[in-house]
Amino acid sequence: MRIGIVWAVVTKEARELLNNRLLLGAVVFPALVFASIPTGIVAFIEANELDSNQLAQLDQYIGHFPDLAPRLAAQGFIVLNFMAYFLLIPAMVPMAIATQSVIGEKIARSLEPQLATPMQVSELLIGKALAAATPAVLATWAVYLLYGIVNGAVADPVLTRLIFSEVWQVAMLSLVPLICLLSVMLGIIVSSRVNDARTAQQIGGFIVLPVIGVAVAGFFSGQASFSMQQVLIGDLVVAMLIGLALVVGNWVFDREAILTRLG
Amino acid sequence: MIEAVALTKRFGSIVAVDDLGFTVGDGEIFGILGPNGAGKTTSVRMLAGLIAPTAGSARINGHQLGTDTQRIRAISGILTEAPGLHERLTARQNLGYYGRLYGLHSAVLRRAVDRYLDVVGLAESADRRVAGFSKGMRQRVAIARALLHEPEVIYLDEPTSGLDPSAAKTVRDFVETLRDAGRSIVVCTHNLDEAERLCDRIGIMRGTLLEVDTPERLRRRNGSASVRVELVGARRPASFLDLLAELPFVEAARAHDGTLLVEVAEPRGDNPELVRALVAAGARIVAVREEAVSLEQVYLDLVGEAGERDARTVGASN
Repeated sequence: MRIGIVWAVVTKEARELLNNRLLLGAVVFPALVFASIPTGIVAFIEANELDSNQLAQLDQYIGHFPDLAPRLAAQGFIVLNFMAYFLLIPAMVPMAIATQSVIGEKIARSLEPQLATPMQVSELLIGKALAAATPAVLATWAVYLLYGIVNGAVADPVLTRLIFSEVWQVAMLSLVPLICLLSVMLGIIVSSRVNDARTAQQIGGFIVLPVIGVAVAGFFSGQASFSMQQVLIGDLVVAMLIGLALVVGNWVFDREAILTRLG
Repeated sequence: MIEAVALTKRFGSIVAVDDLGFTVGDGEIFGILGPNGAGKTTSVRMLAGLIAPTAGSARINGHQLGTDTQRIRAISGILTEAPGLHERLTARQNLGYYGRLYGLHSAVLRRAVDRYLDVVGLAESADRRVAGFSKGMRQRVAIARALLHEPEVIYLDEPTSGLDPSAAKTVRDFVETLRDAGRSIVVCTHNLDEAERLCDRIGIMRGTLLEVDTPERLRRRNGSASVRVELVGARRPASFLDLLAELPFVEAARAHDGTLLVEVAEPRGDNPELVRALVAAGARIVAVREEAVSLEQVYLDLVGEAGERDARTVGASN
C-alpha cells in the first residue's frame, strides 16, 4: 500500500465533503443533538428543586453514586447513561458518508477513470474509509469534549470527571474509531452492490442494528456506564468484524464487477 | 505499441469481444468503428488493464497484460465514455488528484496541470467547480486528465463528443501532435468523418474486427468506385447504356439528369477506356468525376452483413 496514493484519495474525499454542506451537517448535527438532550436535563435538574417523589423515582439510579449528593448523583447518572449514544454516532454518520461517496461516484461514473490509474483497489478503499471515518471520529471527540466541559460548567466539575473517566477515555480513543471503520467498511460493501444511496443506507442500517442494540440495551438496563472489561471486549469484537469486512470488501469491491455493472 | 492477439471477453454466456487481434504502432492512430454494443469499450477496458480478458493476450509497449497490468495502467491514458469528473471539485483539483494517482508531485504536477488546462482551453475556468461546466468543458477536463501523465499509449472513447466544431478541431489537432510525438493512440468513435480525418487505420468492429485497413483502402476494397460522366448535346445519356453494358470493366451504369453514373472496379485504369468508348460512340463529355464509396457506406455494409450473419447463426441454433 502506498501512503501517497491513500493520502491523495483522503484529501480528495475531504475536499468533496467540505463542499457538501448537507453531508457536513449530517456529520455534526446528530452528535450535537445527542449531547444537548442530557445536558438540557442536567441543566433542568440544576435549576429546579427535586421533590421527594422525584428523588424516590431516581433512587435506583442514585444508588450508582453513593458518595454523591442525590441531585448530583441523578445528574451523573443521566450524563453517563446518555453517553452510550456516543457510540451510535460513529455507527451511523460514517456510513452515510461512505455510501454517499461510493454511490455518488457510481452515478457520476467517476470510478472508471480512477480504477484505470495504477491505484490498487485496496488503496482506494482505505482512502475512502479513512476519509469517511475521520470526520465522524473528530466530530464525536469534539462533542465529547464539549459535553464534559459544558456539563461540568452547568452543574458541577464532578460531572466532567465522570465523563472523562478512564473507561470513557479508552472507549473514545479505541471503540469510537473502530466502530467508525466498521461502519464505513459496511457502507462501502453495501454501496458496491447497489446503485442508490438510500437503499445502501437502509441495508447498512440493518447491519449496524446490533451496535445500536447494545447501546440501547445499556440505556434501558439501568446500567450507568460501561465497564473497562466491556469496552475492551467491544474493541476486540469490532476489530474482528473489521477484519472480516476487509476480506469481504476486497472480494465484493471488484474492479471488473463494478465497471461491468456500471455498463 | 499495442499488440492484441485473439482477445476474447465473455460475460457469462454473452461473448462481448471475440478473437480480437490488431496492432497499433508507435506514432499511429487506430480507429475502432462500431455500433453500440459492438465491444469497443470492453476492448479498450481490456487493453487498459481495467478488466481481464477471458482468453487471448496483449502486449502494451512490451508489457504483458495480466502480469504487468499495473505498469500498463501507469503508461496508459484513457478517456472514458463518460467524463466521470468529481463534480464538487474544481477543474484544477480534478486534474491534481489524478496527477497524484499517476505519481506526479509538487512542481511537476503543477506544471502538468497548468499545461493541460491551457491545451484544452480551460485555464480561465481552472478554479471553478466542474458541476457548473458545460458538457464540452467537462469533456475537455476529461481529455486533459487522460493526457496529464504523458501516457505512452492513449485510448480515446468518443473524444470530440459534446464539443463544438472549433473545440473538436482543437482536440483533433492535438491528438495528431500526440501521434507525431510517437504515441500509440486508439480512438473509439461513431463519428465516421472524424475517423476518416484522424485515423491512420480503422478497424470496423462488431464483436470482432470485421475489417482493418486505411480509410482509403477500406473504401476501395468494399465496393466499386462510381464515376459521374456529364454530357451535353442532343443525345440523351440513356442512349449510351447499351454500349456501357458491353464494356467488360463496367459493373453497373444508370442515366440521371444529363449524367451517366458508371460503377467501375479500378477508376484509374478504367476511366480512360470508358471516356474513349463514349467519345467514339458520339458522346460529348463535359466532365468526368470519380465519386468514391463513402466510409459510411463501407461501415454500414460491413456491420449490416455481420448483423445478418449473427441473426442467421442465432436462427440456426434455435
